[in-house]
Amino acid sequence: MEFKTHISVKNLNLWYGGQQALNDISIDIPDKKVTAIIGPSGCGKSTFLKSLNRLIDLQDDVKVNGQVLVDGENIYDPHVEITHLRKKIGLLFQRPQALPMSIYDNVAYGPRIHGTKHRKDLDGIVERYLKLSGLWDEVKDRLQGPASKLSIGQQQRLCLARSLAIEPEVILGDEPTSALDPISAEHIEQRFLELKKQYTIILVTHSLRQAQRLADYVIFFYLGNIVEHGPAAEFFRNPKDAKTQAYINGRFIEGRKADKELDLKGTVCPANFVKAKLALEGLDEGKVLRIIVDYEPAVSELPRAMEYEGHKVLEVKRLSATDWEIVIQRL
Amino acid sequence: MDKRKLEESFFKGVMLFSTFVVVGSLLTIIATIFIKGLPALDLNMLIQTPKGGYYLGKEGGILNAILGSIILGFGSVVLAFLVCVPIVFYINLYRKKKSRFAWLVRFVLDVLWGIPSIVYGAFGFTLMVFFGLRASLLAGIVTVGLLIIPIMARSMDEVLKTVPMELKEVPLALGSTRLETSKVVFRQALPGILTAVLIAFGRGISDAAAVLFTAGFTDYLPYSLFKPVATLPLSVFFQLGTPFPEVQERGYASAFVLTVLILVISILARVISGRFTKNIVK
Ligand SMILES: Nc1ncnc2c1ncn2[C@@H]1O[C@H](COP(=O)(O)OP(=O)(O)O)[C@@H](O)[C@H]1O
Ligand SMILES: [Mg+2]
Repeated sequence: MEFKTHISVKNLNLWYGGQQALNDISIDIPDKKVTAIIGPSGCGKSTFLKSLNRLIDLQDDVKVNGQVLVDGENIYDPHVEITHLRKKIGLLFQRPQALPMSIYDNVAYGPRIHGTKHRKDLDGIVERYLKLSGLWDEVKDRLQGPASKLSIGQQQRLCLARSLAIEPEVILGDEPTSALDPISAEHIEQRFLELKKQYTIILVTHSLRQAQRLADYVIFFYLGNIVEHGPAAEFFRNPKDAKTQAYINGRFIEGRKADKELDLKGTVCPANFVKAKLALEGLDEGKVLRIIVDYEPAVSELPRAMEYEGHKVLEVKRLSATDWEIVIQRL
Repeated sequence: MDKRKLEESFFKGVMLFSTFVVVGSLLTIIATIFIKGLPALDLNMLIQTPKGGYYLGKEGGILNAILGSIILGFGSVVLAFLVCVPIVFYINLYRKKKSRFAWLVRFVLDVLWGIPSIVYGAFGFTLMVFFGLRASLLAGIVTVGLLIIPIMARSMDEVLKTVPMELKEVPLALGSTRLETSKVVFRQALPGILTAVLIAFGRGISDAAAVLFTAGFTDYLPYSLFKPVATLPLSVFFQLGTPFPEVQERGYASAFVLTVLILVISILARVISGRFTKNIVK
């Protein structure tokens, strides 16, 4: 299968402080396909994704060199208009983040800042993209209600509609389904399959099965390097590198296991903040804490509170119908 | 009883005692104002100006000071707000977390916060002399504005720090400028920002030393930015300073009015900010 290139990354290096997080990455991302990025946690997948729309610029002490060519233009060129660049690229986070406004205004936010003013046009856009993301039927009677009242799964679909509403060419997803219930996850996956006809989709995923279901092209990251990449069928049938084989066969030992486990089932916010904070403070710098919760508001609030405390949230993942795992690194 | 238990109960006792001192003094203050002030309070006090003999125990009221304080407090809050919002949004959204510049701004604000208000009064007076201004509402607004800027800015700063990183990332990822992102963050932080404004207002309206030389005092109602203006703290000070018990009682009544004023504005602001919390993301 021949792929047309949409984004071309050339010798991309990235450091946090003195620590190198991306190591001479060179890769061509195919146009209008789903590219899955897989690899153990902490290997630089999120960092790579954020370097594609320069959201990485917001981090403290980051240094980037190399080139990322989107439609032939290097986005790290100082002349690049960053708002135009980001308009071309939609992004979904692991934890959906609604804006503090109504459902309608969440979707209309992007079009508004990019110049669509007429109410009629906006109404059309809101309806179209809410339908496209499969949320319309559930919210059409409460478009003026606050977005924060939706369930996590609904919020993620709202975020998808909001990203699509700026009419991007590329959609980035950073494990967008891992915190969701199976039905919402399925919804989002279905949307991706439909959307790839028109969009270039880059999807970081922790689930090999998801990669197999969705991906046309697969990239395997390990410790800031690309170990192997190729068309999905080929990649899964016949992985060349020994590390890739180990990862695909589930024999891979995660580079960084949790140093401590904390079971917070049955506790609510903010009591669980305190327990998590104390547990983190009991660890040495750089060590990792794995927390299990079964209280839905904690899934977004606990990571946020710990980030406010200055720690780094590595992962939030749904384990079962009632439980989530939150992995946090003490910084 | 062993030593550890003894230690434990000793410290528990100390903590309880300290709590008692804090709560006790608050209650005593409120009770004093209540008991001494309330009997002297009547409607005339609230709707009349001093008219000459008021400080000697004759007819009159403190409307001049009530209106003066409200106008001066409002003016200085508006002034401080116009300065604080850009500072605070700049250091929180335009600068990174570990920015040295942001660190310096916070440090300067903390130092300014600690400077006694009489020094602000003296500074305001120096400015007035420099610009050839007399004691006036304008000079009072500027001085009190300066006094409350660090309070308002640092309180807002703490509020903005609690806004999650993703909420700043989302608008940017959709192609917003930083200014447009600031507007979204402003919405999210609005209840906290109102609280910060309120804390600053309470502080500004109740300070006597900053207005002593700068706003002056007058028995007239405020009518011009360039004329002196009466304020409640100074009014309380003058009334308590007279040798007449009935005027001193009115002083307590005026203190009561000041306290109630702050309370009413607190409640009002809570109610208003409650309207805006509907869409806040938790
Ligand atoms: N803001 C940051 N400051 C310092 N180190 C970071 C920061 N973000 C990520 N890192 C480090 O960079 C590496 C890659 O992180 P990340 O891209 O989040 O990995 P992944 O998404 O694959 O789990 C990790 O070792 C992580 O600790
Ligand atoms: Mg990640």
